[in-house]
Amino acid sequence: MAQTPVLQVKDLHVDFTADKKVYPVLRGLSYSLEPGRVLAVVGESGSGKTVHALSILNLLPPAAKVSSGEILYNGQNLLTLSPRQLQTVRGQKIAMIFQDPSASLNPVLTIGEQLTETLIAHKRMTKVQACGEAAALLTRVGISDAQKRLNEYPFQFSGGMCQRVMIAMALALSPDILIADEPTTALDVTIQAQIIRLIKQLQQQTHMAVIFITHNLALASQVADEVLVLYGGLCMEHAPAAELFAHAQHPYTQGLLASLASLHERPEHLPAIAGQPPAAGEDFTGCPFAPRCVHATEKCRQTLPPLTQTGEHRVRCFWESAK
Amino acid sequence: MFRYIVRRLILLPLVVLGVTFLLFFLTQRLSPEMRASLYVKDPRQMGALEEVIRQYGLRDNVFKQYGRWLGQVIKGDLGYSPSANMPVSRALKEYLPATVQLAFVTMILVVFFGVWFGVFSAVHKDKWQDSLARVISVGGFSLPIFVLGLLLLMIFYGKLGWFAPGGYSFQTDMIIHGPNFHTYTGFLLIDAILNGNWRVFGDVLSHLVLPAVTLCIGSFALMVRVMRSSMLEELNKEYVRTARAKGLSERQVVYKHAGKNAIIPVITLASIQFIRLLGGTVIVETIFDYPGIGRFGVLAAQQLDIAGILGFSLMVAVLFVLGNLLSDILYTAVDPRIRLD
Repeated sequence: MAQTPVLQVKDLHVDFTADKKVYPVLRGLSYSLEPGRVLAVVGESGSGKTVHALSILNLLPPAAKVSSGEILYNGQNLLTLSPRQLQTVRGQKIAMIFQDPSASLNPVLTIGEQLTETLIAHKRMTKVQACGEAAALLTRVGISDAQKRLNEYPFQFSGGMCQRVMIAMALALSPDILIADEPTTALDVTIQAQIIRLIKQLQQQTHMAVIFITHNLALASQVADEVLVLYGGLCMEHAPAAELFAHAQHPYTQGLLASLASLHERPEHLPAIAGQPPAAGEDFTGCPFAPRCVHATEKCRQTLPPLTQTGEHRVRCFWESAK
Repeated sequence: MFRYIVRRLILLPLVVLGVTFLLFFLTQRLSPEMRASLYVKDPRQMGALEEVIRQYGLRDNVFKQYGRWLGQVIKGDLGYSPSANMPVSRALKEYLPATVQLAFVTMILVVFFGVWFGVFSAVHKDKWQDSLARVISVGGFSLPIFVLGLLLLMIFYGKLGWFAPGGYSFQTDMIIHGPNFHTYTGFLLIDAILNGNWRVFGDVLSHLVLPAVTLCIGSFALMVRVMRSSMLEELNKEYVRTARAKGLSERQVVYKHAGKNAIIPVITLASIQFIRLLGGTVIVETIFDYPGIGRFGVLAAQQLDIAGILGFSLMVAVLFVLGNLLSDILYTAVDPRIRLD
């Protein structure tokens, strides 16, 4: 664990502006990621997980802005890079795959065109070299008949196949970090499993670090070395995966784990956490989870609990047994 | 694709029949005497009028007359146009290339500047550059074409003497009808190049400038708007984010990725405008005394030259069908998701 982190996020705040009002979406997120580790960022819609991922590569929509904080890649702050410097990081050092693979590929360019342009842009390969490399990449992500499929268009691929292409594209330049933003949400369950297995397998071959963003704790348990639980734009709990699944300390994480369906037991009711999560940017004082928390006290509603660390386990809660 | 083209070409005669019959039927509302009068040069020969009516069977029933006209058309004879003082088919052959040339140059201007302004406007959305581009395009859109045309003519011909009206100068007329100038295509610009005669080329081009600019201004505004909104829509799509995430330059993201998708609606618009220009440059051709098909159509209509009117409409109908077919084919070239069958 003494390795120097490849990515450090320090007190990241992101705000959305709409109708001249400012809505904080991320309220001070910090973590560091060591090379070769898989970090799962788990959270509900509006928890800020995708926004955090987009801010790493400065891909936020125009309405959103990083208001403070640092994102250090090998010690270099990504937030202060010039557009030109940013281009060399994007794709080459940090690659990203997205939620809806079919919409994430350009409909009027061939798969080959979209794969090779990355290689040509960063590695200055010739067209012929890049085509050979692209075919090899497709084969590597499990697409057969690669040479022929290079000339096809995204609409001729299924969703799962498109995600494989996206993964091939992300792997093209052997990045240090892969950000996977809900890569299986738009796919059906059997394909989901294949894609997860593929990502896991490629991660083990290449030893890249992966930030795996999902709302699905079960998925996170399959891939992650460590899990970070986001709620209302705040880190609620962050621990090595085995530790978190065995000794979840935060009531929210416990609730999430309790509501996981199991194949072996068939309970009458699937336990769920009552209430609604705060909407993105909603104002609150105290702990954002307090309104839904069975252990909440007046103190929880008044002041925001600090993130306390014991060993490798970080948790944000006043509740005594959480410590 | 092939079957689609064949099917559309089978439709062509039906469209032509519909259009020409409608017009033919309307001309029948005029009395036979009125229709015959154009062919009688001397007003004192009243007897000749009856002669013409009998000779051409102008009192026959509509269908019979239409059938007779159609029979001749199939044989390649479109009749004689008194207003142009030559057979209709020769008039079409002589005037059409000039109009195609004008429409083509106009569309190059429209597409080039329209796309460029539209992208520029979209990329700088809500900044001053965007406002400027929009003001210019709305301004152009609101200017009546005949006012603009006359103003340009007054300034650039009347005051500055840079660009003359007409299709070409007197000297050019001498050259192109002289023994050393070969007519290969009928398009003067192309023929001038093929003959290696740059003086003719320059002269014809300089006569094209004012009418082309005038035509361009109105279409240009629409093009900017379509390109701008199309570009804005595409720039918000997820594949654009992917392109950025790959580390492509902003130039590549905008032009290659978003641009290639945004141009699709522009192509439809451009082909519709091009076809419309072929039959509808009437006002501009009249203002600039440009020897094109529009001016021929106007003269024919003004003088009740029925053979001319029918020939003109027949040609416009054919061009419309072919133009639409061409735009469909163009569509498949830019959007791989579209298959014609």
